[in-house]
Amino acid sequence: MKKSIFGLLVILSMIAVACGGSSLEGEEVFITGALVGNDAAGFQENFDSFTEETGIIVSFQGSDNFEQEIQIQMESGDTPDIALFPQPGGVVDAAQRGYLVALEDLGVDLDDYKANFSEYIVGLGTVDGVAYGGAHAFNLKSIVWYQPAEFEARGYSVPETWDEMIALADQIVSEGMNPFCFGMYSNGASGWLATDWMEDIMLRTGEGTVTYDKWVSHEIPFNDPVVKNAATLLSQIMHTDGYVVGGTDAIVSTYFGNAQDPMFEKDANGNPGCFMHRQASFITSFWPEAAQAGAGTETTVFPFPAMDDGLPKAALGGGDMFAVFTEGDEAVNAVVEYMLSDNFFAAAAQRPDNSRIYGHVQFDSSLYSKDITRVLADAITGALAENAFRFDASDLMPPEVGAGSFWKEMMNLAVEGPGYVDTALDNIEKSWP
Amino acid sequence: MKNKTQQERLFNFGISFLALGAFPLVWFLSQAILFRELTEIISRNMLVVIGLLVGSSFVFLLFSGMERLIRLAPMEKRDSLEARMFAGPSIFMIGLFLLYPAIRTIYFSFKDRFGQSFNGIENYSWAFSDAEMLVTIRNQIVWLVFVVFFTLFIGLIVGWLSDRLNKGEAFFKSIVFMPMAISAVGATAIFKFIYEYRPPPLTQIGIINGIRVSAGENCSNNRLIDGTLFDYADDSCNRAIGWLQQRDLSGLKIGESLEAGGWFSNLLVNFPLNTVLLLIIMIWAYTGFAAVVFSAGIKAIPSDIMEAGQIDGASEFKIFVSIVIPYIKSTIIVVGTYMVVTVLKAFDIIYVSTRGDLETNLLAVKMLDEFSKYRNIGRSSTVAVLIFICVIPIIVGNAFREKENSRI
Repeated sequence: MKKSIFGLLVILSMIAVACGGSSLEGEEVFITGALVGNDAAGFQENFDSFTEETGIIVSFQGSDNFEQEIQIQMESGDTPDIALFPQPGGVVDAAQRGYLVALEDLGVDLDDYKANFSEYIVGLGTVDGVAYGGAHAFNLKSIVWYQPAEFEARGYSVPETWDEMIALADQIVSEGMNPFCFGMYSNGASGWLATDWMEDIMLRTGEGTVTYDKWVSHEIPFNDPVVKNAATLLSQIMHTDGYVVGGTDAIVSTYFGNAQDPMFEKDANGNPGCFMHRQASFITSFWPEAAQAGAGTETTVFPFPAMDDGLPKAALGGGDMFAVFTEGDEAVNAVVEYMLSDNFFAAAAQRPDNSRIYGHVQFDSSLYSKDITRVLADAITGALAENAFRFDASDLMPPEVGAGSFWKEMMNLAVEGPGYVDTALDNIEKSWP
Repeated sequence: MKNKTQQERLFNFGISFLALGAFPLVWFLSQAILFRELTEIISRNMLVVIGLLVGSSFVFLLFSGMERLIRLAPMEKRDSLEARMFAGPSIFMIGLFLLYPAIRTIYFSFKDRFGQSFNGIENYSWAFSDAEMLVTIRNQIVWLVFVVFFTLFIGLIVGWLSDRLNKGEAFFKSIVFMPMAISAVGATAIFKFIYEYRPPPLTQIGIINGIRVSAGENCSNNRLIDGTLFDYADDSCNRAIGWLQQRDLSGLKIGESLEAGGWFSNLLVNFPLNTVLLLIIMIWAYTGFAAVVFSAGIKAIPSDIMEAGQIDGASEFKIFVSIVIPYIKSTIIVVGTYMVVTVLKAFDIIYVSTRGDLETNLLAVKMLDEFSKYRNIGRSSTVAVLIFICVIPIIVGNAFREKENSRI
């Protein structure tokens, strides 16, 4: 009797192995992150073909409060296998505290990884020369939204340099309209839009990416002349009379998601409230529904204008990064390998609601469902290839600055006017830990 | 004889130690270890089933086991042991889930940002010198003063007046009480629409701004009349104001004429408009609660006292001040205590509305900010301890008052 049951078990397990074709069949890998809604569904869909192939069941759990929850989970030791951090800073912090497994120990070929995502991106998730973070999706911030039809009707041409943009702005003001939309209120993060402006200007002035990197790592002080120049130019946009629709009141009080709405609203003479809005690629999902359909056609983007001569075409962006908590699990290793491969993002990219951009340079951008996403993706990969893609500086600075004084002083700068530039920069410099 | 009592005492001690200490502890630990091991072995679904079965019998077996042990004790000791048996588990649970985290938090408040090495009182000196922290403490004081005073004040008036109504008292009171039924998050969402701001050419959808920009000749909130658009772009019209972004009165007309000088005008110049607008939400939400409690207290006043007052020719005001208030003094103190503690814990209104931006932060949100935004465990714990310290005098005062009351 006993023998026959044993025999049955052996046969059953043989069948299971034969069918699965892999010893990892049925293994579960748990991922958490800050993605919710469509983005989370797209992320999960990426694993459908992988699960079919390997039998590894990957489940993703997104949460609005991911950043708080992961802190608590790390403290209590109840971590997921993989976490998708919305910012590389989260990876670096967790790695410094010793919670993460290095990519090398997971069997990742670092040279391949660097070639596919650029050395700069890999460096963002690196602590003391050891890479922990795996690059994932990106968004592009170095863009200015405008409506080509409105430009054509008035004979405006798309500005390619900062001086052309200022000249265009002056012309629009002289014709009795407002050139810029600018709103930087954001619950708990007010001011980040101005920090984005600063970063874009920093990338295009001085020595470009070189000074930018020094600025991020605090090799040059925050009140350095280069930074001061950037702040002065930003103040020119904020405080020149008539430049921003609604004036400084609107800059401080307008929720960033509503900031572009004046562009879609025509006044009695048929003029839009503003003509240009510098904002990241994800802003489209904040637009009024009627305007969303025209993203990429009716309302589209031009790259943030060039400033100093001789600098490569820089791109500023943000993005998330995953990191692994579980060591020595074959299934997790396989998932990581898949997440860094060029066909990982295919399923999500084809979803009609997708606006996320995969960072892999060899990813086939024709897969993206929307034209605008394709244009932005090509801009990112182009900048990556030229090593001129840079991450949002405020995300990379210590949180006391990047999520604290930098945001706060930009709000104060908007309220106080051009005379406040020095005080603002001095205050941020003082707050650097 | 003496020997025997000592032996008895030892025996009793042994039993109470076994019944109330060793047995629950061993029982609890065995369960904890069992489940820790089980999670490694069996699947999640099985674990839930086992957890339900074993978990529900856990309490039953705990008490029956303790009861068994207590039965070994002599008759006259059993009563007190049984009383302790029922109090014991809850004391243990409070210790585990409240006392232990509290002590750990205090311990962490003396450590650095990672909670690894001690850094003395550095966190506390930060708490009282950092500009943002000082603003947070100021806001907390403003909230305490305004919210507690106005909920008590308006609540008393509503409670007193509703008592004087000939009919419709229940309806009136339920209207005032209604906001209490709305969660703080919901109430904040409602008020966000009241304070809402849109950049100028857009139609103002916030009530206050909508009224503001429509006031005056030729000013309208983007209304189409016979094909022509009437807007508020004209300079003679009022500007819309981002109410929750106003740190002082400088955005308002009265603010423009203000100048720092005497203490009063200094106070006005620094009047934290957005903080006050936010705390109004809490006043609105809690006034009904205060009113209903006060109304119940007022109802309990014997009518002969009131009549005596009326016969003696006291005015309504005099009766209110000299009879009603002294009579319901303890109710006022209880509601006041409750409000103070609620304000110290106030979190959701700020979290949902401004998230602490533009100098509106409160301690409870600041605690979370330090933990997750700035990733500083030490400072976060310090803020938690500050809230804790603020609550202590109120709890102690309440306890003393209770004692006094029971003495009478």
